[in-house]
Amino acid sequence: MQAIKNFTKSKGAMLAIVTIVLAAFFQIMNSNFLSLDNLKGIMNACSLSGTITVGMACLLMSGSIDLAAGAEGCFGGVMCALLLRTMMPWPVALFITVLIGMVFGLINAFLCNVMGFMPFIATIGMQSVIKALALIITRSQNIAIADKSFWAVGTSTLWIFPMPFVIMAALMIAYGIMIANTRFGRRMLLCGGNRQAARLAGVNPKKVSTIMFVNSGAIASIAGAVLAARMHSASPTSVVGAEMDGMTAAIIGGVSFLGGGSSGMGVVFIGLLLLNTFQNGLTTIKLDAYWQTVASGGLLIIALVIDFYREKRRVMSLKASAGKSAA
Amino acid sequence: MESVRGLRKFIRSKTFTLIILVIIIWAFFTIVSGGAFIKLINIRNILNSMVVTSFLTVGAVFLMICGYIDLSTSMIGSMSGVVVAIFLTNLGLPWVLAVLLALAMSGVIGLFNAFLINGFHFQPFIATMAISSVVQGLTMVTCGVTAIPITEPLMVKIGTARIADAVPYTIIASLAVISIYGFILSKTNFGKNIYMIGGNPRAARLSGLNPSRTSYILFLNNALLGGFGGILLSFRLKAGVVGSVANSQFAGMTGAILGGVSFGGGSGGMGGAFVGMLLLNGFNNGLTVMGVPPYWQTFASGALLLIALSFDYLAMKKTGRTNPF
Amino acid sequence: MSEVLEFCNVGKSFPGVRALDGISFTARAGRVVALLGENGAGKSTLLKILSGDLRADEGDIMINNEKCTFNAPFDSIKSGVSVIYQERQLVSSMSVIENIYSGDLPCDKFGFINKREMHRTTQDIIDKFGLPIQPGELVGRLSVAYQQMVEIMKAYRRNSKIIAFDEPTAALTDAEVDILFRLIRQLRDDGKIVIYVSHRLAEIFQVTDEIVVLKDGRHVKTLVTQETNEQELITAMVGRDIGDTYKNLSRNDKYGEVVLEVNNLVTDAVHDVSFKLRAGEVVGFAGLVGAGRTEVMRAIFGADPVLSGEIKLGGTVTEFKSPKDAIDCGIALCPEDRKEDGLVLFRSILDNICLPVFHKMKKGIVLDIDKQNKLAISAVNRYSIKTPTVDKTVMELSGGNQQKVILGRWTSELIDTKVLILDEPTKGIDVGTKAEVYQMVCDFAKQGIGVIFISSELTEVINVADTIIVMHNGHITGTVGREHATEESVLALAMLD
Repeated sequence: MQAIKNFTKSKGAMLAIVTIVLAAFFQIMNSNFLSLDNLKGIMNACSLSGTITVGMACLLMSGSIDLAAGAEGCFGGVMCALLLRTMMPWPVALFITVLIGMVFGLINAFLCNVMGFMPFIATIGMQSVIKALALIITRSQNIAIADKSFWAVGTSTLWIFPMPFVIMAALMIAYGIMIANTRFGRRMLLCGGNRQAARLAGVNPKKVSTIMFVNSGAIASIAGAVLAARMHSASPTSVVGAEMDGMTAAIIGGVSFLGGGSSGMGVVFIGLLLLNTFQNGLTTIKLDAYWQTVASGGLLIIALVIDFYREKRRVMSLKASAGKSAA
Repeated sequence: MESVRGLRKFIRSKTFTLIILVIIIWAFFTIVSGGAFIKLINIRNILNSMVVTSFLTVGAVFLMICGYIDLSTSMIGSMSGVVVAIFLTNLGLPWVLAVLLALAMSGVIGLFNAFLINGFHFQPFIATMAISSVVQGLTMVTCGVTAIPITEPLMVKIGTARIADAVPYTIIASLAVISIYGFILSKTNFGKNIYMIGGNPRAARLSGLNPSRTSYILFLNNALLGGFGGILLSFRLKAGVVGSVANSQFAGMTGAILGGVSFGGGSGGMGGAFVGMLLLNGFNNGLTVMGVPPYWQTFASGALLLIALSFDYLAMKKTGRTNPF
Repeated sequence: MSEVLEFCNVGKSFPGVRALDGISFTARAGRVVALLGENGAGKSTLLKILSGDLRADEGDIMINNEKCTFNAPFDSIKSGVSVIYQERQLVSSMSVIENIYSGDLPCDKFGFINKREMHRTTQDIIDKFGLPIQPGELVGRLSVAYQQMVEIMKAYRRNSKIIAFDEPTAALTDAEVDILFRLIRQLRDDGKIVIYVSHRLAEIFQVTDEIVVLKDGRHVKTLVTQETNEQELITAMVGRDIGDTYKNLSRNDKYGEVVLEVNNLVTDAVHDVSFKLRAGEVVGFAGLVGAGRTEVMRAIFGADPVLSGEIKLGGTVTEFKSPKDAIDCGIALCPEDRKEDGLVLFRSILDNICLPVFHKMKKGIVLDIDKQNKLAISAVNRYSIKTPTVDKTVMELSGGNQQKVILGRWTSELIDTKVLILDEPTKGIDVGTKAEVYQMVCDFAKQGIGVIFISSELTEVINVADTIIVMHNGHITGTVGREHATEESVLALAMLD
């Protein structure tokens, strides 16, 4: 009973209600919105931004940010496709792709932790570099994928769930458990919440942030490769800007931008659904696809504004209670 | 005696290092391109490409010295360039009105950036990044990705005419902007306030300065400069194109950092930034002259930003100043 | 086995200041050892060395006769030292449990944490200390006092042998102090070495067994608490020379009109504050850290919003929307935190002195560099700021000289300061410069400026100010004239509950 009460008051419940209301609205506007085909479309869209979100949420929780995630995804996609051209078995190709993603993450980590750049500026520079590398190795061409066994990664379905969605959900669950239940996960939150306290507790915040950067690079590469598998070809610009969606979903889903605060991966998932429902809904009511870009930025601003008021209310209530105890 | 000391100080300064670097890079490209780089027509190209960059850099220098950053400038410029074309061509407005409206729209976005940062305590980069995405989306919603031609002869003339067939009018505008803003920064009360607020906003406020008003002014100014740059670019290209300015996304920032404007705020100047800009544009143009594909320029813009930051890092290390972030 | 902590000849220097000089003493298990001294005596530096935050230039720390080298805070924690600072090392968005474990969570070989065990252990510790806290509560929702208790429980959970407290009662009410002292006694009875840093005598008699007195970075003497009295302590702490400093001050005795009158001021942090300040008067504000003195001043200065009440300046009611309005009306504030609120560290002395008056130094639209130079050089000469040129950055100056730069800023000829608010002006500066600052305060008064002098050092505030206003918990609890003020009477008002 208490648990139910807690849930109804929680951020997750609020987000779920908003998502349902949105879905209902779009369903009324266009009766195809809740059709299986469109739901699959939403799931597919979710899978791309959702995979990026996993890496981004972890980084945000540990107090950094990776704006190169989208570019890493692009590079991952085309790298994987190029490797598959050499007739190598797809698991090997995917493995190498992920390794390269990790190298990008390592460079990001080097710039932030050794050179001391601010994460956002270092990764925004890396964003250009990686984006350009993706264009360079493909000469701006799309790379077709012929390996049919690899297609399955992108287009097969598990019951009604498209495989990319399953992969994304699996990652989200795994990382959710990691954050909530392992020592490393808690330490990660500690680093994000109070670096000094973490250092005093013998946790090395730089090491944690390095691991999370590498992790973000790896996950973004997977996202890119899975997208390529779904499309049967890789485009060097396919995932550009996905980091924005990932960040928006994570912040809507209760990850504090200043690190440390989080309501868990479950809420992040609901945030992701909300974002994608909204973006997909805009297209089903025949709005231009470009509105999705607007929505992504707009929702991010709204989420941050709501956060601002929540924080303000928290501080006010704390002050009020402190005043009472003093009187 | 005094002048000798001044000279020695100058030689040790970062600006001097940069000038040497500019000469080296220009010389390098001249040799590699077999002299094509230094030809009049190419110098003109460099100057031309500097127009937009200089507007972006000037705005970025002011913001960054004051401790802020704006990642939406290039999208604002892009929007402004498209919007002015729509007003001129599709709506047939008189050019004064069209330009003023485009600038007004840019200004509003700049003010909104400042509002998010001051009113809701957003971090500048996240606020301006989100705004950038909104602006980009809205621009594309309005006109798709098609270029909107500008045929108004006066506008085309402003964008493309040259003095003595060599120096474009637009470059005059950009040089004027650089010198005026350089003067404001180094000689006036307002410029001094920017440095002091960037150095320590809390202390500045307690000494009677107004950091939040200053940030509104600077974001407005930055958006207007970006918008103006976008408009001039559209005139030169004879069309409004989405993403026209996007290629110079970090140009302003990179130029400023290369020129010694520090990320923490409170230091740097316009002279250095100008040389930084010469370096940046010489480099980008050199790549073009050598026939390097355009995506290498994207690569270069990111790589140069990181290199600029590394310089900044080394300089900070030398003065014992720790990175504030 | 009984634990022993020894300091052997520990010394530490900062640029321009000898912070610690040959400190040696021993602390034994089951004893609470007080480190007593005025601000700047070296207590905090010693604690920082013990916690591994700073490294000693010379000397050793020995635990159980073993030499310890602390390169980082973690080394010291591993050796069984926990230091509880005033700024608490907690994460407010995490629960009590997580903060008590602080990254050092019990887990199985796969890294999965054992939530049940954590919860049980936390509950056990809470029960042991008898506190009304839930293990799952977010630390951000606890009051300051209970956050401190969480810190103590954290140290206890780590099984630290040595637990050091840095001015733990600074922000606590009397009832909370009692709980804290109970906990400290409990730790002592459990055989811990407790180090207790404070400059409040009453507390030290309540809770400690031994007292190590520091003065100007030197170890003056060690006393057994039961065998000494306050008089002996004060003499040891303050020494003779300081008393003379106060006697030799050349004071102002002619007061003018009331320049500042505050009636029923209410803000977020202060309630119903009223007082008057006359021209040429030095009004001292005493009280504990967090009593609301700084907040009153910030409200008067227009830096924080005023909820209700009126501020009269020279008889007319005024309302300041920003510090600029206040400055224009002749109020000046030297903030407590010089580095955060006062100075632009990376800019020159000249810039920092001219900061509020740049707009008055225009020649046409250009800033007049000669005027700036003249103003800065005159301030440097007036206060004998030790610097070769005014172009040096203030970062390179010592604390005392930095303070003088701020004073120079507010007393230049271009500013007509009528009310000068000095918030802890002697914090972190050496004894010699302190005496200079006291004389400056009196000189300002002689010039007809109304001076507000905030200080947490009782001796200083009751000897320099003409009238002492005591605050506690956002209220004014009393006003005393200098001739009637004693440390005891003022402290009683400051600790009033």
